[in-house]
Amino acid sequence: MIAQTLDIVTTAAILYAVATGLLLVFGVMKIINFAHGGLMTLGGYAALITTQAGLNPWLAIPIAALFGAVAGMAIERLVVRPLYTRPLDAILATWGLSIIIGQLITILFGRGVHFAQSPLSGTLDVLGESYSAYRLALVGIAAALGIGLTALLQGTRLGLETRAVIMNEDLARGLGINSGLVRFATFTLGSALAGAAGALITPLSSVDPAMGVPWLVSAFMLVLVSGASLLSLLAACIVLGGAQVLVATHFSPVLGGLTIAVLAAIILRVRPQGFARD
Amino acid sequence: MTEARRLSLILLVALAALVAVAVGPFLLDTYSVNVLTRSLLYAAVALTVDLLWGFLGILTFGQSVFFACGAYAAGLVFTHMDFSGSNALVALGLGVGGALLTAAIVGWLAFWHGASALYASVITLVLPIVATQLLYSGGTFTGSSSGLSGFTSFDLSVEAWFWLAGSFLVVVTTLAFVFVKSDAGRLLVAIRENEQRCKYLGLDTSRLKIVVYLVCAVVAALAGYLYAGYAMVVAPELASFVFGTELVIWTALGGRGTLLGPVFGALIVDYESAQLSGSYPFVWQLIIGVVFVLVIVAFPRGLLPVVFDIPRRLLGWLRPRAARAAVTLSTLDLAETQGVEPGNGPALAVSGVAKRFGSLTVLDAIDFEARAGELVSLVGPNGAGKTTLMRCIADGAERSAGAIVVNGYDIGRKPPEACVALGVGRKFQMANVFETLTVAECLQIARARHARPSLWRRARDLPLPKAAMHVIATTGLDRQLATPAHLLSHGMKQALELSMVLALEPRVLLLDEPTAGLTKTERMQIGSILIDLTRKQGLCVLLVEHDLDFVREISSRVIVLHQGRIVLDGSVEDVVASELVKQVYAGSGHAGIAHETASPDRGSAEAVSSAKREMPV
Amino acid sequence: MSTMLEAALNVRGLSSGYAGAVVVREVNLSIAPGEILAVLGKNGMGKSTLLKAVMGFLPKMSGSVSLGGSEVTRLSPHRVARLGVGYVAQEKALFQDMTVEENLRLAVRRPDFEAALAEVEASFPFLLQRLKQRAGTLSGGEQKMLLMARSLATGAKLLLVDEITEGLQPSVIDRLAGVIRSARERHGTTMLLVEQHLPFALAVADCWAVLDRGEVAETGMASEPDAGRRVLKHMSV
Repeated sequence: MIAQTLDIVTTAAILYAVATGLLLVFGVMKIINFAHGGLMTLGGYAALITTQAGLNPWLAIPIAALFGAVAGMAIERLVVRPLYTRPLDAILATWGLSIIIGQLITILFGRGVHFAQSPLSGTLDVLGESYSAYRLALVGIAAALGIGLTALLQGTRLGLETRAVIMNEDLARGLGINSGLVRFATFTLGSALAGAAGALITPLSSVDPAMGVPWLVSAFMLVLVSGASLLSLLAACIVLGGAQVLVATHFSPVLGGLTIAVLAAIILRVRPQGFARD
Repeated sequence: MTEARRLSLILLVALAALVAVAVGPFLLDTYSVNVLTRSLLYAAVALTVDLLWGFLGILTFGQSVFFACGAYAAGLVFTHMDFSGSNALVALGLGVGGALLTAAIVGWLAFWHGASALYASVITLVLPIVATQLLYSGGTFTGSSSGLSGFTSFDLSVEAWFWLAGSFLVVVTTLAFVFVKSDAGRLLVAIRENEQRCKYLGLDTSRLKIVVYLVCAVVAALAGYLYAGYAMVVAPELASFVFGTELVIWTALGGRGTLLGPVFGALIVDYESAQLSGSYPFVWQLIIGVVFVLVIVAFPRGLLPVVFDIPRRLLGWLRPRAARAAVTLSTLDLAETQGVEPGNGPALAVSGVAKRFGSLTVLDAIDFEARAGELVSLVGPNGAGKTTLMRCIADGAERSAGAIVVNGYDIGRKPPEACVALGVGRKFQMANVFETLTVAECLQIARARHARPSLWRRARDLPLPKAAMHVIATTGLDRQLATPAHLLSHGMKQALELSMVLALEPRVLLLDEPTAGLTKTERMQIGSILIDLTRKQGLCVLLVEHDLDFVREISSRVIVLHQGRIVLDGSVEDVVASELVKQVYAGSGHAGIAHETASPDRGSAEAVSSAKREMPV
Repeated sequence: MSTMLEAALNVRGLSSGYAGAVVVREVNLSIAPGEILAVLGKNGMGKSTLLKAVMGFLPKMSGSVSLGGSEVTRLSPHRVARLGVGYVAQEKALFQDMTVEENLRLAVRRPDFEAALAEVEASFPFLLQRLKQRAGTLSGGEQKMLLMARSLATGAKLLLVDEITEGLQPSVIDRLAGVIRSARERHGTTMLLVEQHLPFALAVADCWAVLDRGEVAETGMASEPDAGRRVLKHMSV
C-alpha cells in the first residue's frame, strides 16, 4: 500500500520533471516540440559522459542542462523560428530533429545500452517500507523545479513578459515586449529542462539512443491535457501518473504504458480544456 | 482536352506502368525484386497518407496501424487456422473489417465537429502506440515482440508477388489519381482550405472526412494483407509509430498533395534504405533526417515538385498553357430547382433569442419576423450584437436561449450545414471563398449539396439558379471563370461569395456588411442585385450594414440594435425620423437611450446637449 | 493643425485595409506635439483601421507615417510601441488573468514604477486599492480606466485611443476627460482619439476630423461654434 503510494508520487514527480520543459514551449509558442525526446536522450548521454569521466554524478544534471540549452538555441534559431506560421510543420520538423540527434548519438556511441551511475544508491526507510533513495530524491528535485519555475514566472520581469506572451502575444507586442526574444529564451530553457530530465532518468533504467521516445509521448499528452498551467500539469501528472501505476500493477505493465495516452485522449474529447481552469 | 481524352491518357499511363511492372523482374536482380515488392506495398500506404494529409489536410501518423491490421489478420489466421482458400478469404475479411472498425473509432474521436487539427493528429499518434502495446501483450497468440512467422501462405513465385504488388500499386494510384482530379476530389481540397465555408455551403465535412479515412484504412489493410502473404512474417513494428512517421517523411519528401510524389518517394527511399542498411545504416538515416528537416523548412512542397518544375517550365515555354478546363454555365429551369419549399408563415421567425458569454449578455429578448420579399437591414453601433445575431440564425448551436424558425422549420441545435438544408445562406463579412480554386470551381463546390459531384469525372456544365446567374452576369464574373479566386479584386470576391451562397438556393439570405471595402459603382451594383433578389426572386434578405445611405436606399425595413436589444423595428422613414436612433449613433451611451427629446428641426445642438447633461459643451 | 516640420504624428496619403479591401483611403493628418485630435465618424468608416495601420498592425498599401520627424511606416507594432506610442484599443486590451499591478508593471520598467504609481494615484486613486486584484474582475468602466492608466504610465508621448468611452457611465466619461486634459497639461502627451461620442470628443480635443468611407470628409477646430453641427451632419442617418 505504502509502496504503491510512493510509486505513484515518484512516478508523478518524474513525469512532471520530464513534462515541464515541453509545457513551457507549448504555452509560449503553441507548438509541441517533438525534439524534446531527442534532447532528453542528449541529456542522458551527457550524464553518461560525466559519470564516465569520473565526475560527481550530481554534476551530470547541470551539464546535461547545458548541452540541452545549447542545442535548443540552435534549433530555435534555425528550425523553429522559420516555421512560426506553420505549427503542424514545426511539429514535423522537430520530430526530424529528434531523428537526427538519435542517429548522431548512435554513430558516436553505438546502438548498445549503457548504464549510468546513480548519484544516490541504496534505499531509505519510509513508514516501514524500504524504498529507492534516488526515486525519493527525485520527488524533491521535481518539487524544487516546480517551485523554481513558478518563482521565475511570477517574480521576474522575464517571467512576467513570458506570461504576457502566453496569454496574448499580439497584445504583448503592442506593449513593446519583444516576443521573439521571449520565444528564444523559452525554447532554450525548455531544452535545458529536457536535457536535465534526460540526466535525471538515466539511473532509473538505462541509456540508449531511443530512450527519449516513450517519455515524449506521455509528456506531450500530459501537456495537451493541462493547457498552459504548471499547476494543472501537476494535477495531470498525479492523476494520470497514478492511473498508470495502478494499471501497471493490477493489470499489466504493458497496458500501464498506454494508460496516460489513452486517458488523456478521452479526457480531451470530453473536455477540450483538459485539466485547465476555465 | 475533352473528358474522354483526359481519362484515356490516364489509362494509357497506367498501362505503361503495368508494363514496367511486368518487365521488372527480368531487368532487376533477385535481391532488388524482393526489396521492391515490399517497397511497392509501402508506397500504396504512403499514397493513403498523401490523400489524408496532402489533400484533406489531416496529418496522420497512424496509417501503419491499418497496414498491420491486414498483415496480422493474415498472420493470425494462417498461423492458428492453417492456410486454405476459404481461410484466405476469412483473413481478408477480418483484416478489412478490423481496419474499418478501428478507423470508425478513430474517426469518431478525431473528426467530430469541434475537434482541432492538432487533436486529430494527436489521436492518430496515440493509435499506433496503443496498437503496438496491444500486440506486445498478446502473448503467444500474437507472437508478442517477435511476431508471427513461418506460416504457410499463397504459393507464388518471387516474380508473381512482384507483379501482384506492382499491379496493386498501379491500380490504387490510378484510382486515386482519377478521384483527386474529379469534382468530388476537389471537395477534399476545399475542406482543407476552408472548412468553415464548406459547412456553410451545406457540406457535412465531418462525415466526408470519416469516409475518406475509412477508404484509406481499407487500402492500407489490403496492402498489409498482401505483405503478410508475401513476407510470411508479421511483427509489431508494422503497426509502430516509427513506421507511421516514416510514411509521413516519404510523403513530405516526395511532395505532399501530388500523389505521385509520395509514391516515388516511398519507393526510392525504402529501396535505398535496404541497399544501404548493410553498409551505412546510421548515416543513411541521418541523411534522411537532415533532408526531411530541410524539406519541411525550406521546400514544403517536397522534392518532386521542385524537380518537375524545370520540365514544366520548359513545356510552358514551348506551348502556351491552356486555360484551366472551361466550364459552361447555364441557368436552371425553375421547375428543376430543388430549393426548399416555403413552409407556412414567415420566412424567418426569431423569438426570445439571447446569447450570453458567461456573465456577459451580447443579445437579449430578440423578437422579430421577416417575410419573403422583405429586405431587412440590421443596424446599430459596434458591439450591438448584429453579427452575433447572424451567427445564431445560421448555426443552431450558437444561441443561449430562444427559438429560430426558418420557413416553418425550427432550426433547433442544428449545425450550420443542416441550417443550409433548411434554406439559410450566409455571406460573411470578409470575402470567404476558396482562394486557390478558380471561380468556376468555387461555384461547383457551392452546388455540391444539390448536385452530387462525380467521383471520377469533371463536369463541363454547371447549371446555376437564376439568382446566382444574375449576380455572375452583372458583375462580370462570367468572364473570369478560370481565374483563381485569390487573384480577384475585393469587390469581385464579394460577388463570387454572394453567387456561391445564392447557388445554394436559400430562402433566407444573411449578409454581413456586403458593401465593406467596395467602390461606389460596386455598391450600387450590389444594391440593385439585392433589391432584385427580394422583389423578383422572393428571397428574404437580412443584412448587417454600417453604410446608412445604402440602407436608406434599398431596405424595406430597418431593425436597430443597441447593446444587444432591438430599440426600433420599422420602415426606413420611421428610423430616419427617430431621435432615439440619432442619439444611439451620436454616442450617448446608456444615458440617452431612455429619452426621446427635441424634434428633428431643432437639430444637432439640442441632441448633443440633451444627451450629455453633465458634459460642458 | 500644425505644420509638418513640428508634427508629433504625420500621416500622408495612408491607405490600408484587410484582405484586399481598402478601408482607409489616402488619409492625410497631422498633429502637433501636445495637441489632441479627435477622429470622428460612423461605424465602419475606417477609424479603427486608421489607428491599427498607424500602429503597424495592418499593412499600409500606400502612404507614410512619421513620428516627430522619423519614418515609422515599415515598423512592426512592438517597435512603434518602443518609440513611445501607446495603443489603447477598442477590444479589452488588458491581460485579464493578471493583477492590476502586473498589468501596470508590464508597461513600466522597474526604476520608474514608483513614479508611475504616483501618477496612477493622481488620476485614478481607486486603482491603488486594487493592485492585487485580477484585472478581469474589474468592471468594464474600471478596466477602461486601468487601460488609460497603463498607457499613461508607459510615458508614451503619443497615445492612439480607440473609442474609450464606449459603454461607460457619464460620470466615468467625465473623469476620463479630466485625466486626458491633465495628462496633456503635465506631460504634453499628444493624442489621437477615435470617438463616436461627440460631446466628449469636442470637450477634450483641440481639433477634429471626420472620416467618411475611409476618407477625411471634413476637419475643424473644436472651439468653433458650429463644430457640433458640422460633425453631426456626417453622423446621422
